[in-house]
Amino acid sequence: MAHSVTIAKSFELIPGRYPSEDSYSIYCCVAKRAISEWGLRPQDVDGLFVPPSGLAVNTEIDVFTHERLAEDLGIYPRVSESVQAGGATYGVMIARAAACIRDGQAESILCVGAGKFPKVGAGGAEAMAKMVCHPEFEFPYGAYVPAIYALAASQYMAEYSATHADLAAVAVSARQWALRNPRAVTYSRGAITVDDVLASRPIATPFHLLDCSFPCEGGGAVLVTTAEMARALGAPRAELLGLGERHTHNAISQARSLLRSGAIDSAESAFARAGLGRDDIDMAQIYDAFSINPLLLLEDTGFCDRGEAAAFVRSGAIAPGGALPLNTNGGLLSFGHVGDGSGLSVIIEAVRQVTGTAGANQLDGIETAFVHTYGGMMAEHVSFILGRSE
Amino acid sequence: MTDLPLPVPSELTRPYWDAAKRGELAFQRCSACRSAFLYPRPLCPVCWAPDPKWEIASGDATISSFSVVHQAPYPSYAARVPYVVAVVALLEGPQLMANVVGCDPDDVHVGMDVVVTFEERGELSIPQFSPVEKTA
Repeated sequence: MAHSVTIAKSFELIPGRYPSEDSYSIYCCVAKRAISEWGLRPQDVDGLFVPPSGLAVNTEIDVFTHERLAEDLGIYPRVSESVQAGGATYGVMIARAAACIRDGQAESILCVGAGKFPKVGAGGAEAMAKMVCHPEFEFPYGAYVPAIYALAASQYMAEYSATHADLAAVAVSARQWALRNPRAVTYSRGAITVDDVLASRPIATPFHLLDCSFPCEGGGAVLVTTAEMARALGAPRAELLGLGERHTHNAISQARSLLRSGAIDSAESAFARAGLGRDDIDMAQIYDAFSINPLLLLEDTGFCDRGEAAAFVRSGAIAPGGALPLNTNGGLLSFGHVGDGSGLSVIIEAVRQVTGTAGANQLDGIETAFVHTYGGMMAEHVSFILGRSE
Repeated sequence: MTDLPLPVPSELTRPYWDAAKRGELAFQRCSACRSAFLYPRPLCPVCWAPDPKWEIASGDATISSFSVVHQAPYPSYAARVPYVVAVVALLEGPQLMANVVGCDPDDVHVGMDVVVTFEERGELSIPQFSPVEKTA
């Protein structure tokens, strides 16, 4: 019989700056602290998934990070690999871990993420541009990550007559959530208004500085287990109710559409497998590297009709007190974008809320959470639904 | 500027850059299923037929998406801010990235008709696009 899959534990570094850690040692630090905090020993873990370290800095990428980490921490895993799908890495990890658990290949899989976001002005933007752009046909045109996501924003705005103020409202909501979360990097930075976003420094239209996520460092870990193992570790836990994926392109200029992403299929699959509808969802965590992404993805994942996301956001629906609390940790926009580890922060917040372990920013009555991570230049999509399980 | 990034042509992509040097924009068409595509590939991404044939595009295109960049990723393009990064769709179908030049960046919009032009850079000619008609 296939085992049901749960996320039994989560751990997260507070996002900030970790100058004493390098792009590999930060993984070690996170994994060690997670295992200790959960009251486990290395031998209690029989699976290990980790991204190749050094990705965001693009200089010392180690595709054997999973081997190195296991060796350094005395883990002897039955399943292990370095997983890489950009921001969707951790969604993919949950998918692979779930498959291993269901198949009985492992029963306690540690998924680790961490990252150091390179300083954008110190060659970081160029290094990332080299990684995400076609080297011969895109990079030579001065393209880089914010400009590429701005391409999608320009299409959305043209198609639905949306405005920069509509995008800014997403960033304003993210900051409102961050002000309730002492762990967020912008917790003490005060509220922002739509006008503040519009008045911040232009980066790549329509994005201004406050439309872009907040670069920092950090990381986290989750433990994916069988329900039996989770019970032994102590309730409550987050059960994986359904998951779906879709991977669509590499170069942004070759995307079939910027307004119809792979999230349509990944979300549809996740909801179908869970046997749930959008109305059954209590909160959502949607990867928000830029303010446009929640608008695009609320529509692609079926929470809003086409062209309706901006009005949905303007109504306050995704903000504190709204019908669909979105990115309740503050999102990458205001909680912080921890480089290679960013996708895991999206997931961990859903686990914390569903298991009632969020602490200061815990919401009442969260039984289900929808999670969406995308990677590459909106190329890789993983959606899943977590449900509270005692 | 001499330190602008220069594409490095390969055997596969050399015909594209040779055409550009002649002031022509080349794309590939599958000789089996007739799909038209960029960027250059050794086989058709639709039906896998080998040896797609090179054709010369009309040069007419429409802007699918764009951004006016104010903070550049590297110094050589910082000298050009604000500049326009766009994805354009050729009349023949294939899409490619380019800068939109020869106009005020604030006049650029999705759906704008543009035509290919070429920027001399090092030994290469780089396809760029400019508006078909000057906006008022």
